[in-house]
Amino acid sequence: MMKLRFSWLGVVTFFILMITIAPFLVIIPSSFTSENFVSFPPEGLSLKWYTGMINMPGILDAVVFSLQLATVTAIISTVFGTFAGLCITKYNFKGKQTINTLLLSPLALPSLIIGIALLVYFTYLGLAGSFTGLLLAHVLITIPYVIRFVLTGMATFDDNYEKAAAILGAKPIRTFWDVTFPLIRSAVVSGAVFSFLISFDNVTISLFLVSAESMTLPLMIFNYIQQNLSPLISAVSTMVILLSLIPIIILEKVYGLDRLFGLNSNSH
Amino acid sequence: MHKTKSNTFNVFSSRWVIPILLAPALIILIGVFFIPMMLMFIQSLIDEQSNFTIANYLVFFQEPFYWGVLWQTIKISSLTVLGTLILSYPVAMFMAGSTGKIRAIVTFLVLLPHLVSVVIRNFGWTIILNERGLINTFLLEIGIINQPLRLMYNELGTVIGLVDSFVAYMILAIATSLYSINPSLYKAGAIMGANRLRCFFSITFPLSLPGVYSGIVLVFSLSMSAFVTPTLLGGTSVKVMPTLTYQQIMFTLNWPLGAAISFVLLASTILLVSTFTKLTETKRYKEVFKS
Repeated sequence: MMKLRFSWLGVVTFFILMITIAPFLVIIPSSFTSENFVSFPPEGLSLKWYTGMINMPGILDAVVFSLQLATVTAIISTVFGTFAGLCITKYNFKGKQTINTLLLSPLALPSLIIGIALLVYFTYLGLAGSFTGLLLAHVLITIPYVIRFVLTGMATFDDNYEKAAAILGAKPIRTFWDVTFPLIRSAVVSGAVFSFLISFDNVTISLFLVSAESMTLPLMIFNYIQQNLSPLISAVSTMVILLSLIPIIILEKVYGLDRLFGLNSNSH
Repeated sequence: MHKTKSNTFNVFSSRWVIPILLAPALIILIGVFFIPMMLMFIQSLIDEQSNFTIANYLVFFQEPFYWGVLWQTIKISSLTVLGTLILSYPVAMFMAGSTGKIRAIVTFLVLLPHLVSVVIRNFGWTIILNERGLINTFLLEIGIINQPLRLMYNELGTVIGLVDSFVAYMILAIATSLYSINPSLYKAGAIMGANRLRCFFSITFPLSLPGVYSGIVLVFSLSMSAFVTPTLLGGTSVKVMPTLTYQQIMFTLNWPLGAAISFVLLASTILLVSTFTKLTETKRYKEVFKS
């Protein structure tokens, strides 16, 4: 009905959407400037900031560290979150509703407060600044998302498939791998991808838990921007945008971004 | 919801299954969330000799500077809510009025920026807002201004960054409530002779209010505790509760006071949000809020 017909609402919507994606529209061109200060429109054309990026001290370590952290976080969160999600949907037990609410509760508190609490706690335990500490924190804030994905995926689940498998003689483990898991696979994959993205982008919690040896990429950028606005960061940001696009496209294909609504609320 | 299903038959029945499946998530939740939160709360209530004291909270409430910070946080969060409301309503209405592919594309574009790091989006805004940025260059070029405007490292920059961060929540909250309006209401309105403006104010707007309210609550709470954006786009001149807390923890190393400030922040957010919910939860909308 609205297709191709001129509408003021459509025009206004277009402009508002342009505003929301404006940061990306300026970052990418600004990385090709030949000046030494980020300006827009960029002057001159040069790839020197990309060569500069490769030579930036610590950047490679930060990229590798962030990718490792996000990958391990995604694996652990997905496995544990899927276990918990399945348990909540498939079994009846005392206090089930309470446990469900508790498992989702880290999403209700601001990241900043969780970050401070963990700093205090990990300092007592001697885990502050360690990979383990950072990993535990990232798993904590990503597990609720996986659980919510699994709960959504299980909402339309039909037990009869499992029953059929059992009647045909499949053992529980076999039933799980051949019947249950394939039916919820898209929810599980989405949970994993989403956990990866959340962990890869996290600043507010990591801020309190990193050390000089365990610097994540977004934190390195965060610290750098506060000192100067160099086109070097445009180059780094362009790389991160491109790196983030891969998981986003997977998420869109597997799950549909529109269904994500309501799932992410604690990334700041 | 799954009660009847699970009781009748379950392929994986063994009394060990439930504890084994739940244990890992629960251990992490208790070990890395509940215990640390408790410790931090205790931390905010003790002095150096480990005696109970509310001194840390008194420091906050007796110092006008801290009140000023709380006020600035509330002010910035309220302006952010206002900004997201203005930008969201047209987009949500457009989404509700479109179907299929167009609606999917708009939803994708609304959510896309949200999945890329907030630090990077803030950096993009500095390229637009700084003294030699896009807006100043443009305005100087066409001669509207002679001096670059100060568009960031102040409240304005912070609000712009926060609006950009949270506008998606508002759009989707309003759109969801618009989707659920029964189209025959518009037909009824038209039959009764109402024009489009009248239809908007008598049908669309009132029925979208539950979505607007939940969007306001969400954006306000997120803005109150936002740390990255006020740091990067507000700079040193913008003092909000999260940046104050961060300074107390990381630079002054006054952990008890930092912990107390973060609990004051949490409590004031909850207080403001629940007051707002009470005020808007009039009889007229009670039914909607119940669900």
